[in-house]
Amino acid sequence: MSFLNNYAYYIGAFGLIFIGLYIILVKHNLIKVIVGLGILDTGVNLFLISVGYITKGTAPIFSRPGIYSERMVDPVPQALVLTAIVIGVAVLALALSLAIRLYQHYGTLNLRKIREQKW
Amino acid sequence: MVNPVLLIAVPLGLAFAIPLFALFWKDAAKYISPVALGFNLVVSLLLLPKVLENPIIVSIGGWQPPFCINLVAGPVGVLFSTIIALVGLLVSIYALDYIKEGATEKYHMLYLLLLTGATGVVLTGDIFNLFVFFEILCISSYALVAYLRDKAGIESAVKYLIQGAVGSSLLLIGIGLLYGQFGTLNMADIAEKIASASPISLFVPMVLLITGLGVEAAIFPLNAWLPDAHSSAPSSISAILSGIAIEVGLYAVARVVFTIFGAQSFLLFLALLGILTLLVGEMCAFSQNNIKRMLAYSSIGQIGLILFALAIATSYGVTGGLFQLVNHTLSKALLFLAVGYMIYRTGSKEISSLEGMGKKMPLTCLAFTIGAFSLVGLPPFIGFPSKFLIVRAALATKETYFCVLIGLALFGTVIEGAYFFRVVQVLYFKGEKSNPGRKEAPVAALIPMFTLVALILVVGIYPKLVTDVLDSAASELLNRLDYIRSVLG
Repeated sequence: MSFLNNYAYYIGAFGLIFIGLYIILVKHNLIKVIVGLGILDTGVNLFLISVGYITKGTAPIFSRPGIYSERMVDPVPQALVLTAIVIGVAVLALALSLAIRLYQHYGTLNLRKIREQKW
Repeated sequence: MVNPVLLIAVPLGLAFAIPLFALFWKDAAKYISPVALGFNLVVSLLLLPKVLENPIIVSIGGWQPPFCINLVAGPVGVLFSTIIALVGLLVSIYALDYIKEGATEKYHMLYLLLLTGATGVVLTGDIFNLFVFFEILCISSYALVAYLRDKAGIESAVKYLIQGAVGSSLLLIGIGLLYGQFGTLNMADIAEKIASASPISLFVPMVLLITGLGVEAAIFPLNAWLPDAHSSAPSSISAILSGIAIEVGLYAVARVVFTIFGAQSFLLFLALLGILTLLVGEMCAFSQNNIKRMLAYSSIGQIGLILFALAIATSYGVTGGLFQLVNHTLSKALLFLAVGYMIYRTGSKEISSLEGMGKKMPLTCLAFTIGAFSLVGLPPFIGFPSKFLIVRAALATKETYFCVLIGLALFGTVIEGAYFFRVVQVLYFKGEKSNPGRKEAPVAALIPMFTLVALILVVGIYPKLVTDVLDSAASELLNRLDYIRSVLG
């Protein structure tokens, strides 16, 4: 069980990433694909956080007494994740607004039925 | 001395100021992008002679690398920012008259953001910053592909967005893995520490980074979005997407392979991928009836050729690849701009509907013909010296592998010649003989087109103008130790 304890976050993160990829590849409905993109984003963010996480670690604030640098979590991945969340929100918002337009044009969100553009 | 930060800060600030200006004066929006890009062009040209001697490293926040976010304005970065500013300026002049419908201020804002993102990608020295600027570029291009809000545009934008978003997620996982191993995001610092890591633990992040960036660079088999997106966007945007966005993706791939990983053993595979991309692109382009789709597939082919040339990884090869990149940017932008008004006048994208255009729009057709000849590689246009350098570099390696591949590349060029000459024939020699009324493209479109024609001719006749810059850019890409030393001191 120690393996699970040590790597629980990584297993969870890559589980989410693969669930997201599976949804994007398999589902026909655009809304479901967008949900898949959201899950993929969440998985990537969780992975980035767990790269810098220490079990029972605290925030890296040096002015508080009684806290040592070995117990602090790495703040850089958290800063990265904040940025990545904002980018993910922008992409999802754009995707949803495109989905509305797509529905207005075709009357369906089924991606298998929307095949005007071909090689 | 000018600070390279201005290359990013000024267009970014002006881009977000556009909606404010548009509140008071609707037409202000379209004049801001030329101003911002003109400023970028002047700054880049001022920086160019300085960075040829010494790359300029800008540390933001007063910390020293590797603890700060830094910009590396080396020969490669400033070469690319010059090209981006130049083509961006010309296309924004073209758009003054071309973009009339819809929410024009949003178009101009997104356009400026796209070019800011591209400039940021080529100048940054921090791999997470590269991701952020890449996303700025990608998100604004998704929105711009859908700008016309027609059926085709929306469908292609959705395709482009899904593939692009998956690609960016892979890129971010790769960056996370690198950070987990080395504890740094500075590209030079990663490159320095990478020598001590085991090759197996580097393979996964490298594959993730190249796949993620390869989606935007349209490397086969990650390029399914490109023909749709480039053919359904407004023509001014197609010119920017084909001329700048995919080149920036290719720059990022080259930076990752050459500078960060120094992956010599991976280059043969990339050369093979390049030739595959080239052949697939040219063959698909040959069978198209839609002219914009044909140009989009031809972009895939050109990207393949550039990737192949970069993967030769000798000084001649990389110089040739960068030269071909300049050629493709100028020629393909010219082709899309010319085609934009031909489609506007005829109302159809079919090649057959362009019959007799040589008499109706002689200047536009002349520009198209010159762009096509330059892309195929006829002298005295810029395409000739660039393709010549690539062939020479491949033969100079004296390896059977590269000699066979360059043979295939030349075969691809023959196909390319075939479909471009077919279009030129339709323009001039098909259709009724009677002389219909001339209706030329407006002056705001002719000025950028003929500036591009002039550049193609001048550089083609006198390649020495750019070869010095290209040589030092190639040596920056190939000598990763110099890069590391110049950044970390």
